[in-house]
Amino acid sequence: MTPHISRPAGEAGPKAADIAKCDEGALLELIDEVERRHGYVPRDIAEEVNRLLEVRLERLRRIQGKLDTTIRRDVQNHVAHWRDEEGNLIMILHAIQNQHGYIPREVAMELSRELGVKLARIYEVITFYHYFKLQPPGQHNVVVCNGTACYLKGSGELINEVKTRLGVSEGQTTPDRKFHFDVVRCIGCCGMSPAMVVDGKTHGRVRSADVSGLIEQVKKEEAKA
Amino acid sequence: MNPITHEKLAAYAMVPPGPAEWIRVQLDTGGIAAGAEGVLEAIRNKRDEARLSLSVHRVGSVGYSYADPVVEVQSAGMPRTMYGRVCPGVAARIVQEHVQQQRLLDDHVIATRKRSTVLGGPITQILVKDTGTGSSDKTEFFQFSLVEEMRRRGVSDRVQVVRALDMGLYNEGVVVQLLPSAVTYANVLAPDVARIVSESLAEGKVLDDLLWSDPDLQTRIVLRNCGEIDPDSLEDYLRNAQGYQALGRVLAGMQPPDVVAEMKTSGLRGRGGAGFPTWLKWQLTANQKSPQKYVICNADEGDPGAFMDRSVLESDPHTVLEGMMIAAYAMGSTMGYFYIRAEYPKAVERVQRAIEQARAAGLLGKNILGSGFSFDAKIRLGAGAFVCGEETALIASIEGKRGSPSPRPPYPSVRGLWGHPTAINNVETLASVPAILLRGGAWYAGHGTEPSRGTKVFAVTGKVQNAQLVEVPMGTTLRQIVYEICGGVLDGKEIKAVQTGGPSGGVIPDKHLDTPVSYETLQQLGSIMGSGGMLVMDQHDSMVDVAKFYLRFCVDESCGKCAPCRIGGYQMLQILDRISRGRGAAEDLNTLRRICGAMQKASLCGLGQTAPNPVLSTLRYFIDEYKAYIEGGPSYARKMSRLQTGEAPKENLKVAATS
Repeated sequence: MTPHISRPAGEAGPKAADIAKCDEGALLELIDEVERRHGYVPRDIAEEVNRLLEVRLERLRRIQGKLDTTIRRDVQNHVAHWRDEEGNLIMILHAIQNQHGYIPREVAMELSRELGVKLARIYEVITFYHYFKLQPPGQHNVVVCNGTACYLKGSGELINEVKTRLGVSEGQTTPDRKFHFDVVRCIGCCGMSPAMVVDGKTHGRVRSADVSGLIEQVKKEEAKA
Repeated sequence: MNPITHEKLAAYAMVPPGPAEWIRVQLDTGGIAAGAEGVLEAIRNKRDEARLSLSVHRVGSVGYSYADPVVEVQSAGMPRTMYGRVCPGVAARIVQEHVQQQRLLDDHVIATRKRSTVLGGPITQILVKDTGTGSSDKTEFFQFSLVEEMRRRGVSDRVQVVRALDMGLYNEGVVVQLLPSAVTYANVLAPDVARIVSESLAEGKVLDDLLWSDPDLQTRIVLRNCGEIDPDSLEDYLRNAQGYQALGRVLAGMQPPDVVAEMKTSGLRGRGGAGFPTWLKWQLTANQKSPQKYVICNADEGDPGAFMDRSVLESDPHTVLEGMMIAAYAMGSTMGYFYIRAEYPKAVERVQRAIEQARAAGLLGKNILGSGFSFDAKIRLGAGAFVCGEETALIASIEGKRGSPSPRPPYPSVRGLWGHPTAINNVETLASVPAILLRGGAWYAGHGTEPSRGTKVFAVTGKVQNAQLVEVPMGTTLRQIVYEICGGVLDGKEIKAVQTGGPSGGVIPDKHLDTPVSYETLQQLGSIMGSGGMLVMDQHDSMVDVAKFYLRFCVDESCGKCAPCRIGGYQMLQILDRISRGRGAAEDLNTLRRICGAMQKASLCGLGQTAPNPVLSTLRYFIDEYKAYIEGGPSYARKMSRLQTGEAPKENLKVAATS
């Protein structure tokens, strides 16, 4: 057990009041700075930050709880729409994914309650089908098709190019949550191989050199908006 | 739209053709990806600017993926012309030059394949293109020669000479097509120019020694309306595509056994790839006694590299719906489902619209056309599982469950969706049905060969010059499809193999390309017909790599229910991976064969039974490539992987195919 190391004497650290004013970004910077200066985070600062986090987490949890009613109503609407159809689970999951971009756990749990189906059965279906996502997507989706025609015409190079440009592997989202990168099997544009889909828009006959242009275009449009 | 009665439907059959002048822009997912929507807008703007009266239509796609976006023009005083690779700038020029100035555009015309052998009247335009693969392109030279010759004879102002984008003939030297009759000359040499101008142009004589008289290799039955009508318009389908006439005839004058008999005469077999006689499937389902029966259209099209079904659904959804209704009538079913994969949003959208239009017109619902037959159709989405193309897994998916296949028997005809008798048919199969019922089973059986009748749609992609959808009668050879219809291998490279049947199929090397296409012949060669995906591979494509690609796909898509597929597939993948890294051993090839045999015999469903096909077929024809990896070791593997990523200069992988 490491002995309690006190901060070198004479060092004034951030006061409690300053910490309370910080937002998450500033807090991260502050902790990084402290760590850099001392090699670790001194206990008094750690305790102060911890206290602040607990207060904020509690508030966030209460806000989440208030949103639960929205989740419940959404799920009820989806179920009501498909109530009379047998075997409606997959269609309801599509509707949920269209709304949220993925299947959030809370929504799946609510669906289980509403349909009277065990949660395990719902996850059995979600995890079987490649289309349903369990993680939130990025704001923008970059998809490279890896069907046979696209594979023969060089989709491998496109995949590497996207990996280099975005810095993430397939199935991952960039840390700033802006871009999500997926590789799929065949979107049916084999005549225009290799094909990519960026934010729902299909591009055909894509070359490695075009990839950075496509990504830049998305960033530019976002900056404009 | 008000509900259609039988009388109104009959009246549609007599309706005269539509507007005499039009421009059609082909809009399907491929066309839109190439920018066809911008082209449509440019044409509309230019048309409005010039205050012209011709109508601009959205239509489906004829399937010429290599030329997207495609536009067709019918305007006064000009032959009907198809243009390819049309960007908005070219689109504006089409309106200005083709329509207003009556001049064809250079370098964009796709010549008609319906060639004639007689000159019906005076020649108005001449298309020219050098279809050889030599280093110099003589198109411009011949265009110049013809113009010069015509100037010498004083006829140059009457006839326009135009450089074409595509003539539909390949490796036949310089090809010249005389419009509007479409008399086509091939292998034209410089001295022939004078004769063409003096005899054909001036005297209307056909030059028999140059004449191309072979008929078009394609017969479009399934694709008959694709690119001709607006897929979002029921009115267009009724007016211009004999829409629902087949259904009307069936409901008015045929009993279900008559329909089945007609299908038996036609010899249509399941176009999803299994080739099961369609009439027999319907008969077996019809024989079952049950209060509820279902018809399902399998639009899962999971094969990577295939897009025929997507194209048909996006370009002609009503045909598939009509086929489904005729099938339902023959079997006594009142409810149908379209199972469409979620990766095809446009197809889903267009089929949904078609269903709603049919409902509004009374063509879906109770007492259709006053016949007492009731039917309704719904859409169910797939969710990215290849195995759900298999019929029992598809049924499980519609039931909202995990897509695990079930053992057969009982077959879906006996116990299918929710325990009721169910018939599942592929999109292409259903799209053929209205044509068969309208023109007769005997007419359909007249195409193709003895055990494999009719036509098949292939999506030819990969290292091919002109990727496109091709519909040919069974019995056409692979070489004809790849070389004569699609222009041969990209960049004039040497062909190595053609792959058919997707992840369930195999490779067919060059020496077998003269095989006529049919279910039986392809099986004998170690492949299958499959849904129609046809991939062309050149000498740079490694067969070990291709086998690994397909095997990885099958392992990813395996549902995991049965051990042979779940374990066997993964073990094979590990062995192949080791081999491709240069760490394989000679016994590995035998181990692969034994695992393949086990999977084929013991797997629960078609996915596991056919997953070994790519491996077995590449072992059969390209075993030298495997041996090269095994004997060459890691250094050979490193060299090969550098070739694949293009870091090292590409040498010809001249590996002779063994039998």
